[in-house]
Amino acid sequence: MKMRFVSILVIVALLMPVGMAFSAETIKIGALYTMTGRGGQYGKDSEVAIKIALDEVNAKGLPGGKKLECIITDDKNPQYAVSVAKRYITEDKAKFLFGIISSAIGLAVTEVSKEYKVIFVGSDHAATDLTANKFQKYYFRSSNNTFQSMMAGAYYLAEMKGWKKIAYIGPDYAYGRDQWMEVKWGLDKLGIKYEVVGEYWPKLYEPDYTSYITAIMKQAPDVLIVGFWGGDTVSFIKQAKPYGLFQKMKYFHPDAGGNYEAMASLVDDMPEGLILSARHHLNWPDTAANKTYIQKFYKAAGRYPSYAAEGAYVGIHMIAEAIRKVGNADDTEALVKAMEGMKIQCPEDPAGFTSWIDPATHQIVQVQAIGTTVKNSQFPPAKYMLGNWKVYPADKLWPNMEYVEYLKKVKK
Amino acid sequence: MNRIKPYLPWILYFVFFIGIMVVRPGEHYVHLVARVIIFSLFAVAFNLLFGTTGLLSFGQALFYGIGAYTVGMLAKAIGPEYFILYILLGAVIAAFVSIFVGLLTLRLTGVYFTMLTLAFAQLVWGLTFKLYHFTGGDDWIQAIPKPAMLAGPVLKYYVFCFVVVTICLFVIWRISRSPFGMVLKGIRQNPQRITFLGLNVYKNQLVAYIVSAFFSAVAGGLYAGLDGSIHPDMLHWPTSGNAILMAVMGGMGSFFGPVVGAAILTGLEEIVGKYTEYWSFTIGVVVLVVVLLFPRGVLGIRLAGRGNKIEE
Amino acid sequence: MDFTTLIAQFISGLSVAMLIFLVASGLTLIFGVVNVFNFAHGSFYLLGSYFAYQAMGMFHNFWIGMAAGVIGAGIVGMLMEFFFLRRIYGRTEEGPFQILMTYSFILILDDAVKYIWGSEYKTIPKPDALMGSFSLGSVMVPSYNVFIIIVGLAIVLFAWYFLTKTDTGKKVRASSLDREMLGLLGTNVPVIMTVVFGVATAMGGLAGAMAAPLRTVTPGAGVEVIIDSLIVVVIGGFGNFWGALLGALIIGQVLSFGILWWAELATVASFVVMIIVLIVKPQGLLSKRGVGR
Repeated sequence: MKMRFVSILVIVALLMPVGMAFSAETIKIGALYTMTGRGGQYGKDSEVAIKIALDEVNAKGLPGGKKLECIITDDKNPQYAVSVAKRYITEDKAKFLFGIISSAIGLAVTEVSKEYKVIFVGSDHAATDLTANKFQKYYFRSSNNTFQSMMAGAYYLAEMKGWKKIAYIGPDYAYGRDQWMEVKWGLDKLGIKYEVVGEYWPKLYEPDYTSYITAIMKQAPDVLIVGFWGGDTVSFIKQAKPYGLFQKMKYFHPDAGGNYEAMASLVDDMPEGLILSARHHLNWPDTAANKTYIQKFYKAAGRYPSYAAEGAYVGIHMIAEAIRKVGNADDTEALVKAMEGMKIQCPEDPAGFTSWIDPATHQIVQVQAIGTTVKNSQFPPAKYMLGNWKVYPADKLWPNMEYVEYLKKVKK
Repeated sequence: MNRIKPYLPWILYFVFFIGIMVVRPGEHYVHLVARVIIFSLFAVAFNLLFGTTGLLSFGQALFYGIGAYTVGMLAKAIGPEYFILYILLGAVIAAFVSIFVGLLTLRLTGVYFTMLTLAFAQLVWGLTFKLYHFTGGDDWIQAIPKPAMLAGPVLKYYVFCFVVVTICLFVIWRISRSPFGMVLKGIRQNPQRITFLGLNVYKNQLVAYIVSAFFSAVAGGLYAGLDGSIHPDMLHWPTSGNAILMAVMGGMGSFFGPVVGAAILTGLEEIVGKYTEYWSFTIGVVVLVVVLLFPRGVLGIRLAGRGNKIEE
Repeated sequence: MDFTTLIAQFISGLSVAMLIFLVASGLTLIFGVVNVFNFAHGSFYLLGSYFAYQAMGMFHNFWIGMAAGVIGAGIVGMLMEFFFLRRIYGRTEEGPFQILMTYSFILILDDAVKYIWGSEYKTIPKPDALMGSFSLGSVMVPSYNVFIIIVGLAIVLFAWYFLTKTDTGKKVRASSLDREMLGLLGTNVPVIMTVVFGVATAMGGLAGAMAAPLRTVTPGAGVEVIIDSLIVVVIGGFGNFWGALLGALIIGQVLSFGILWWAELATVASFVVMIIVLIVKPQGLLSKRGVGR
């Protein structure tokens, strides 16, 4: 038994030097992404986009001839992610924390960023909290939050005629609940009258929606507002189709419904006329920048990107721009100042508009476009893409300090 | 030498866990060893039920979670000054809950007992999720403050954990070597014999269950302070599963087996996590190998062929 | 609540129940006959869905996909029993080791699936024949759900016939009572055990293959399914085939109507039912064996 103890001591002792990394020539970004499991697609896509962005950034060059580098680790769960984030800072000497798909993990890691005073650029998780009631000055986000999506949704509904009754179905956790809260807030703000005939809260990753579908059909709303993401969207649509749900009501899914990967999975099963949006679209805007970005991604990965990738791509460029402005990657306070108000051209910017970072909330301010599904085979394997676009200007969506105050009151 | 032999594991234990303090590796590694020592307590508390009394509970995460949530919610609501009190309170609450759960679950034996413990833990897990207005649900409770004395570099908190865990381990150690402990071991080996001796199996199992719950909650409470955040998944069945894995891998027949198991499991997760995303596969293979070749765990390897004697 | 809603929820509860039943019946069969608690049973559901996905990708035929799911899961199950589980039969404290070994299989198979097929979710289309739906009065019922219900009932009938009317079936039932005795009587017990294991896992694979076009094919599906099946097996009684059916029907309806009445707690409700059964009749609703003290 003594031997066992000694051998274990040896193993642990060997662990220690493994973390030694030299940061002389490179500026390190410590990224955490879900690489396996349900969100794994987004992590993998983000990884590809990060590489593309790093190549572009390093080709253009950084002050002092340094290179930008990104370490990516699977974030697994918040506790593990927190320990990895701390390891990035203390052992790997990373100057930036990056990424994260799940808002719960984002909320945990932002505490690490705050404690160690290390800039954290969030690139896919969308909980509004992080740029509102849970804001801390070292946090920045390079993709839009759920409020921006849902506020645009409220505008869309305000312009739509012939509906009164709405119902909501979304996963039973913060992301699902927040979207519902936000769309109702938006509708109230715009003075639109509506009647809620039902709220449904299946668990995240629920495999079987049949009972929910029959219940919704019974309640017969005019508009069904939906808050799923990833595989849940696909499961729900597949299961709802034979019930004729899409003929009886409008399916409205403005935050993650229009994610390309859903269209690629459903292929012919995608019904026509669903009202969807996403944080980045392949076929809108029809600008050279967007096309180039998508081609680069396709070349690198052999498939078209889901929206998570664009957030990662933009985030890397944000960091590079800040470093160029300040001249180095060490003066954190200066870097924070440099990012506030920064204008950054994104693939998703329509002609004549440049996204920018709101100085008060560190949230990127972008245009939202909502469309309906139409037949379109330009991006195989998807057979349907979005069309009939309605575009909402960025400043109407964010910053919305009134909503931030409301959140602070409601969430304490 | 024979006089020292029973105390040898203790000596090694001190050498290892104090040695870390002396060597002072970076924050990250101190944090790692802090996790090992907290899990050690959890695993040893579990093993009091399993290795000693022969009860395979798949629901210890319930008490671990009660400890964590009591500490987390109180520290956030009232403030961190009475941190130690919260840990104690969490353990007492867990002990109370365990009386009810134990009274019900211990009426069954074998697989049925195991399944019922799993069911209770899952039920409370589900409730913790759903009652998010109270527990914070899926959002986690973040930024749990620690008392000023323990805040700052992880080393301070590690020392605190070390002191608390060592005291708890010592108490459990004494319990397992006491006459009560002998009764428990007897229950595991031959319940009928114990009944013939005039002792009540059910009552003794219940006491073991309560003690185990108490210390599991202490471990949970300590963990809440370590990361400063708690989540319903602390009550989810894989957490209970981890306790089982640690006990079995290290050796459920010996007191320090679970400590070794905790070190192995945590260390493996750390090393494997750096090189591959297939963490589950690795631990699955390790467990399979242990079950097939080393059923008495790492610490039991020497005992293969010596019969069923339980080493202490 | 009106009649049409009742019918609609009942039918959806039934199709949910059938899928759970297919997995749970395998679980209970293994426990009853082979005396093994196969914690990894959900992983065969997982394998069934992935084998089906793979076969459909290669042959573009739904029925071949289903067959692949069933046969693939069954074969892996038999391999697992023969090469691994067999080694721990007869050990003291076999119970905990079964749980540990099968737990390790959950971990291994889950990652194996991710490694071979990737961690993104996959989708399979339903066969054209079963795409539509038909109306029962004002209620729409998807054909595919009816298909699942019919297959489930067919399995039930077949199992009933086999276990009660055929000689082999009777031997299988006898094995669950006393492994050793049966061996002494000349029946090849090890073969029966491996075959039963294979059949049970094949049924789990069938559930996975059938569920695949309805849901998505994704790692982690096994874990979801095992907890539900566990609840059902406990309610019905360990080792009791008909108990699994009853338990599945109960849980299917609890989940289905729970959503209407008690939305927040619908998922918790099944645990409550399980706990009540364990307290009132721990051996399960249909079982006759005593398991308490």
